[in-house]
Amino acid sequence: MSEARATCWSCGAARAPADALCSSCGKVQPPAAGGGKDKFAVLGLPRSFELDAGELDERFRTLSRKLHPDRFARASAKERRFSLEQTTLLNESYRTLQDPARRAEHLLELRGIRPVSDTAMPEEFLEEAMADREKLLEAKMDGGKDGVEDLAAGIRKKRDAAMAEIGRVLREPEPHPADLSRVSELLARLRYYARYLDEAMGRGPEL
Amino acid sequence: MAALLEIAEPGQSQVKEACVAAAVGIDLGTTNSLVAVVRPDPATGSGKPRALEVDEGSTLLPSVVSYREGGAAIVGREARRRAADAPSDTIASVKRFMGRSSADPETKRLSPYRFAEGESGTVRFEVAGRTVTPVEVSAEILRTLKARAEERLEMPVRQAVVTVPAYFDDAQRQATKEAGRLAGLEVLRLLNEPTAAALAYGLDKRSEGTFAVYDLGGGTFDISILKLVEGLFEVKAVGGDSALGGDDFDRAIAQLLLDEMGATPSGPRLVRQAIDAARAAKEALTTRDAVELELTGFRRTLTRAQLEEAIRPLVERTGPPSRRALKDAGAEGKLDGVILVGGSTRVPAVRAYVRELFGLPPLADIDPDEVVALGAAVQADLLTAEKPQHDVLLLDVAPLSLGLETMGGLVEKLILRNTTIPTSATQEFTTFADGQNGMDIHVVQGERELVSDSRSLARFRLSGIPPLPAGLARVAVTFQVDADGILSVTAREQLTGISQSITVKPSHGLTDEEIERMLLASLEHAEDDMAKRLLIDARIEAQRILRAAEHQLESNGDLLSAEERAPIEQAMRDVRATMEAADHRRIKDAIERLDHDSAEFAKRVMDRGIERALKGHAAAEFESGEMSEHAKKAYRALTEERAPRATGGGRRPQHTDDD
Repeated sequence: MSEARATCWSCGAARAPADALCSSCGKVQPPAAGGGKDKFAVLGLPRSFELDAGELDERFRTLSRKLHPDRFARASAKERRFSLEQTTLLNESYRTLQDPARRAEHLLELRGIRPVSDTAMPEEFLEEAMADREKLLEAKMDGGKDGVEDLAAGIRKKRDAAMAEIGRVLREPEPHPADLSRVSELLARLRYYARYLDEAMGRGPEL
Repeated sequence: MAALLEIAEPGQSQVKEACVAAAVGIDLGTTNSLVAVVRPDPATGSGKPRALEVDEGSTLLPSVVSYREGGAAIVGREARRRAADAPSDTIASVKRFMGRSSADPETKRLSPYRFAEGESGTVRFEVAGRTVTPVEVSAEILRTLKARAEERLEMPVRQAVVTVPAYFDDAQRQATKEAGRLAGLEVLRLLNEPTAAALAYGLDKRSEGTFAVYDLGGGTFDISILKLVEGLFEVKAVGGDSALGGDDFDRAIAQLLLDEMGATPSGPRLVRQAIDAARAAKEALTTRDAVELELTGFRRTLTRAQLEEAIRPLVERTGPPSRRALKDAGAEGKLDGVILVGGSTRVPAVRAYVRELFGLPPLADIDPDEVVALGAAVQADLLTAEKPQHDVLLLDVAPLSLGLETMGGLVEKLILRNTTIPTSATQEFTTFADGQNGMDIHVVQGERELVSDSRSLARFRLSGIPPLPAGLARVAVTFQVDADGILSVTAREQLTGISQSITVKPSHGLTDEEIERMLLASLEHAEDDMAKRLLIDARIEAQRILRAAEHQLESNGDLLSAEERAPIEQAMRDVRATMEAADHRRIKDAIERLDHDSAEFAKRVMDRGIERALKGHAAAEFESGEMSEHAKKAYRALTEERAPRATGGGRRPQHTDDD
């Protein structure tokens, strides 16, 4: 990782670009150009799929306490703007890291691998997906709640298996590029499973 | 400002600061409104929020505004008493109409009001020979709260945190902000009501864990799931129904009565009486099993069982949003408690339902009527005080999803509901026709998939896109939601860098011209209101300067000879005498004379303070910033002048950057 240096706008001290607060004078800093590209860095965590949820929460809370716009309600317009930008970045990063699928996606992104678009999936998967959906529609038409529930359970199993495989690859210290493309495809599958389950469980504005 | 008021004694700075103006918390409720404030207790230094008595000795100001031909509006209990005689000129529960269009179902419900058509489709009431908007009616309530708080606190009130239901959409929030502006208040923040309640509750009970706040008021239902950890209040999910509350209970019972009487069509007076009778019966049935009802000669006994049957479908409507919020928060089966807020949670059937819904006995040990205002006062203190009384932070969420209209009338969501704010999101769109040179951006709010089912927030057009084949031009649309929950949208064409941005104003809201006109109208109509306000302001000012003068004469009277002292005391007597008069100009004149006559005295007191400061007594206060700006400047001038830089340079003030 290249460690470009930056200086504090207020006291001029040198600081790491990822630091939200100046270590010398404590003033809030603007996010670095292209800042937040590494959402792990925003929370001061190493890039890793393995993550202690408790530690993530704790870091989020600690940083929120320091950066939130309410803390700068009486500060200058400049500091208020930086605080808004930093908090926006913090919230976004926390949201991404909290969810294992999004976290995995972000790890790929950091390695320069673009997500597979849903339409670029292998033929056999698309056919399987079509068949799954037809079965779901039929089960819904029959009105049998058990039928839908059984189908959903099947999809959940597939989802968990995909997640487990993603985890296995990403825990490797230096994953093989072919394995990483496989993860990218698995993530597309996860998106599909999520939509399927939403539909099966009747997601709507109200329960 | 009078010179005497500028003098700050070391260690008294907090009192002095507090005297300048107060920032309050306001619960602008459907049925009742309250104002609360955090004041440091002089004995302990700790500041508990307290609600102020604002109407006939009560902290509750009924949210009722009664208009008279040619006169100022009446607000509160007096207005409520007028309701039976002037049912159409007296507006109750105006909150239900905030930010709604005249076509909204709310205007079609059982009510005694006359509606007029508005320019931009806004609801308008015809009252006492004129038309008023819900924003204006709400502003009357806020103005009354402001004035009465000023009387109680004996100081001007300029800033407020105003609470809104968490489930209020953008239009309803903007309308509330506009009402504050119209009432002469700077709205520091719109705070979600359940969050405010949790804030007051959490601080009082020092509890930690995951809580549901079930808030059923007069006209709105809100559910929020929050996590409390070490002074951090993290909202996990919100939900609700912004048109469900105790009013609907009343109307359900009133409808029952009117149907039994066979009173069709029923005039506004009868409707008002039926609703009032229904509310009284509902309240009585909180503690009794049956109640006798009388409506223009028609008599009937209403039992609690009958009431519960009539309102059951309404109470059960709180179930789905509650379950959804629990699911969104991932808090199913993990709750540590359920907090009850809002007057309607006093209804036994509601409590029973809450217990059943969450599987927990609900907590209601803080007055459910006051708790929201108390929380708002804490937040106002947090946002304005140099040293807030409580070290807490609220992390709130966007209550509803925000998105854009795409091809085929579908909604593309950019920010999902329950996303922690502030937040932003960017999405790229392409052109769909060859040579397309503009793009319409339509911003919508809500959970539905179709634009036609969503709330339209704003439309604007990005033009000047270079002519390119379809799909080649790329427009990045960015949504930014700030800590207030206010959305701004930027559209930027990636090739040319052409961009357009707006802060979202509601499509159903009021135009700027309308707001201006209302501001003017409120000034005209409130001529006597204005005089009253000026009088109160002048009296408050007079009291302050008298107190300051008395204090300084007592502690620094030795600086004056008897001859010098006499004119000051005379001027003070004059101020006191004019205070009884109903003419603010005379009070102001007397204050000015006192100010003039005491100017030399004030200067001597100040000099003495500086002299003491130089002897080191006040140095500590200076360093810690506990000295008035005025005194600081004088102190600074003196230290810089007298102390050579080489030796005294260590104490140079740090300037803060204010751009």
